[in-house]
Amino acid sequence: MIRRSVFILPVLIVACSGRDPSPESLRYGLTLAPTGIDPHLNASVELGIPLSSVYDTLVYRDSETGEFVPGLASRWEVSADSLSYTFYLREDVRFHDGERFDAAAVRANIEYTLNPDHASQKAASMLGPLLEVEVLDPYAVALHLERPFAPLLDSLSQVYLGMASPQALATWGPGEYQFHQVGTGPFRFVEYVQDDHLTLQRNPDYGWAPEIYSSPTAQIETITFRFFEDVATRAPALETGAVDIIGELPASEVERLAALPGIGVQQVRVPGQPLQLLFNTELSPTADLRVRQALVLGVDRAAIVETVFGGYSPVASGPLAGDTFAISDQTAFPDYDPLAARELLEQAGWSGDPGSASLELRLVVPNWGSNPEVGQLVAAAWEQLGAAVTLEVAAGFGPLTQAQAEGDYHAIGMNSFGTDPDLLRPFFSSDGFFNWTGYRDPLLDHLLAEGMEASPSPERSATYSELAGLVREQWLILPIREYVNLVGVNSRVDGLRFSPQGWFPYLIDLQLRP
Amino acid sequence: MRLARLWLGIVVALALVAPLLTQNSPRDPVASALAPPGPGLPLGADALGRDFLARMLFGTRLSLGLASLAAVIAIGAGGAAGFAGALFGSTADRVWLWTTNVLLSIPSLLLAMLLIAAWGPGIPAVVAAVGVGGAPVFSRVTRAVVSQLVGAGYVAAAQAAGADRLWTSLRHVLPNALPQLAPLAGTQFGWAFLGITTLTFLGLAGDPAVPEWGAMLNAGRVALVSAPRLVLTPALAISLTILSVHALSRPSETDDSNR
Amino acid sequence: MVPLLNRSSASPVSSTTRRLLDGLLTAWAAVSLTFFALRLSAGDPVAALLSNGLTTSQQAEQLRHRLGYDLPLLQQYVHYLGRLARGDLGVSLYSGQPVTELIGSALPSTLRLAGSSLLIAFPLGAVLGGVAGWGSRPVLRRLAGTLASLATSLPVAATGVIGLLFMGRLGGADSLAPQPGLWLPATVLGWAAAGPFARAVQAGLQSTRRSPFILAARARGLRQNGRLLWHAVRPTLPAIASLLAVEVAFLFAGTVVIETVFSRPGLGRILVRSILQGDFPIAQALVGMSALFYLATQVVADSLARSADPRLRGPA
Repeated sequence: MIRRSVFILPVLIVACSGRDPSPESLRYGLTLAPTGIDPHLNASVELGIPLSSVYDTLVYRDSETGEFVPGLASRWEVSADSLSYTFYLREDVRFHDGERFDAAAVRANIEYTLNPDHASQKAASMLGPLLEVEVLDPYAVALHLERPFAPLLDSLSQVYLGMASPQALATWGPGEYQFHQVGTGPFRFVEYVQDDHLTLQRNPDYGWAPEIYSSPTAQIETITFRFFEDVATRAPALETGAVDIIGELPASEVERLAALPGIGVQQVRVPGQPLQLLFNTELSPTADLRVRQALVLGVDRAAIVETVFGGYSPVASGPLAGDTFAISDQTAFPDYDPLAARELLEQAGWSGDPGSASLELRLVVPNWGSNPEVGQLVAAAWEQLGAAVTLEVAAGFGPLTQAQAEGDYHAIGMNSFGTDPDLLRPFFSSDGFFNWTGYRDPLLDHLLAEGMEASPSPERSATYSELAGLVREQWLILPIREYVNLVGVNSRVDGLRFSPQGWFPYLIDLQLRP
Repeated sequence: MRLARLWLGIVVALALVAPLLTQNSPRDPVASALAPPGPGLPLGADALGRDFLARMLFGTRLSLGLASLAAVIAIGAGGAAGFAGALFGSTADRVWLWTTNVLLSIPSLLLAMLLIAAWGPGIPAVVAAVGVGGAPVFSRVTRAVVSQLVGAGYVAAAQAAGADRLWTSLRHVLPNALPQLAPLAGTQFGWAFLGITTLTFLGLAGDPAVPEWGAMLNAGRVALVSAPRLVLTPALAISLTILSVHALSRPSETDDSNR
Repeated sequence: MVPLLNRSSASPVSSTTRRLLDGLLTAWAAVSLTFFALRLSAGDPVAALLSNGLTTSQQAEQLRHRLGYDLPLLQQYVHYLGRLARGDLGVSLYSGQPVTELIGSALPSTLRLAGSSLLIAFPLGAVLGGVAGWGSRPVLRRLAGTLASLATSLPVAATGVIGLLFMGRLGGADSLAPQPGLWLPATVLGWAAAGPFARAVQAGLQSTRRSPFILAARARGLRQNGRLLWHAVRPTLPAIASLLAVEVAFLFAGTVVIETVFSRPGLGRILVRSILQGDFPIAQALVGMSALFYLATQVVADSLARSADPRLRGPA
């Protein structure tokens, strides 16, 4: 009968639009779609997940030993005064567009990064006091510094200072280049459709894999990245087979997922700053140190971490996550003490009596990394102290920085990641781009400068310990949790390992079981 | 029909006495995340350890209250516009016609979203947007009813007796218009309730902790498999409420029993 | 659609042209409304441009000038209309990407969802409405009628989430089974969209079933199915054609919600994000385009209704 066939047809059409996993392609789930994905210019870690395999870096860092190993540079020398680093480059490297990689390319990349018109958010500051890039000969380049800069090698080991084709950089320019990226890595950048997907394809000509990679060349033909900004969609994506790998799973689903046949969950520590709130020291009442202290003591950080992150994250105790290299110990933030908190508030003049003025606080958090959930619990805790709290969730990096620029916040959530404690500099130096606390102290600047110059040593650790102590004494932050990335993996995927930065997988080592 | 009245009665009663029924605040964590139902926590805890029953109870206040407010805005603004169009002469009528057409050319949810885009996300914006979004339809009906009454000669008779136009309208038209318009209040409430829960579901409520049913439906999705009660409860509550309102405000169905 | 222009029937302008003009005027007004609503309350776009971090103050000023944000509002409005006519919908405040590109990449997914839902809605609605209005057994009629009512009343947010939970659970106790492609979101949305359609069919059939000409036909001996059904349905076609516009309006809202529930890429996600971020060029474009499309649908529906029923044609 006509009715029945009319019914079946649409169902058929609809059923045929599913996505089947191909043996040669991998689907990887990302979370937020960053505003920009040019590693020279943008700061997001999300972009590094695919792009770490599109670019090679001069050196690489071994996750186990922490030592630097050759990458695009086969060896390097540091001058006695630590002001000059000379890199001797491999001669067999070619970009994905066929151009040779050479010393001139290194200089072009660094110039592109440091160009003030390009307003690089992260890579530029990772180069510190760099004065000049000198091309010594086609395959030797020297970086000259104004002052010693301990983090330089660490910076040069990260995707933000990965080497791009100078021709591509020049052809497309900032803004457009992100859609046409050309590197030397084991995967080629195919296309990026904003907010939709990013595709990588195996580079068949890759022959210069560093020793930290287990395999000399990529073993998967195509990797497609899709975005799962909504937390509720990540576990279903993994379970239904829409993705093979996805990070930042909600803690509440991990136990259940790990118990499923065909799915595994990895817990990957991410060094750097913890998830934290920065207090605004320029706005009353958080301008008052006692108030800040009260707002820290009045929050049961351990309970929040347990609730939001299950048992998977250590409670943060300072401005740096515990295993960031070169930090031995820090003056830890004290535990939950609501009585002391209330006493402090009274001392500061906020008695909480019915007649008197109440403490009004405005809290701004970004919409990633479970910040909204943490924000809700922190707001509830502060309300128990008698404050009236407005919580605003900024829907992206842009709105977050916009809210910060308006200055109307008492606490704001922001942090960055990395393997060198110098990453604190943008946050705590007087002119730092991320100095959102507004706290300026010559002592802090001095400590940051000292730490920046000293080479790895007990003295360097002591400098940063002192810095952490200062941050705590001034109660500049409310540290919550040290990042642990919960990564779900389909069992057909083998070999998933992450770089020392924690976020970035070695895509070259991935294999698909037949 | 009876079920509809029963359900709505329960919901309204809960909305009124919610704070008496629970000691827990809907915003303070009292247990571990996703704690299952047990003593002291009849519906367990949500993803942030808050008493889920308390949130649902306070949610009755919010969802019903906000929907009522939005419906009042729609009826007030729409009604006033409809009256004006019908009674204040052909120019006013043209203007009214034109404005309503333009507003109706944008599907109402999108119109509400446009207004939220203009005012910024937040509960007040959601309520106002849903209210304004529902006004054009109501104003159309009002104008139709009023102009029919106007045509019925009330006004002409009153004017012949020398009454001022506005006074005439208020005294004569209003009492006759209300009985025809009153049943539509129910429909307006239903649409407002649907609109508010949809917009908060989409995340436009501004405050992530707000215990409103649509927002809770959205928040519960993270634990869809591990704690489906967090999703099923608001879904059921929203559905039953809308079904009840529709059942009560629809005129009786055409009887098809005479064959 | 209530006509705007009030001309006497002796006018030389044909009614079709008049209707077209009406439509265009309304469309222009709707687009202008979206423009002014957003621009009048939007903050200074430079703040948004700056917050990207990718622009220095100087560049932000240049960008602002290039995009015309430093001109008086009315002038911006004129430029906006001009660009609109050329198909230029502006650029996103945060990413700088042209809005046409953003919409273009998301549109196919939304169209697939909306299209599949319609493909399900019309047959399903016809069946439900047909059974409810014309079915032989009261039990069936009741059931079909209830399903149609539920379809109109239940919010898609709720049915979508419940559908995801139960359909997924069919695959196993503690996890979600694979949901290939589109079928679940399209079915949920299609069922909801079928509701108004089913109700219209049901009401139409119920009323014409008792109409004189049908009774006469039955008296003449036509069996109560097939051809009789077709004769009963025909007068209701105009009402059903005008439902097309209602369905489209419903789908605008429905796709936004379903795309969120099933985490599908599409215009819904883009619209919600643009509202949360305050990225008004995107919101402007999406709402404006929807209004234009909806108006076009109304015009088409009107013409269909007119052609289906000569009584509605009016003075030519």
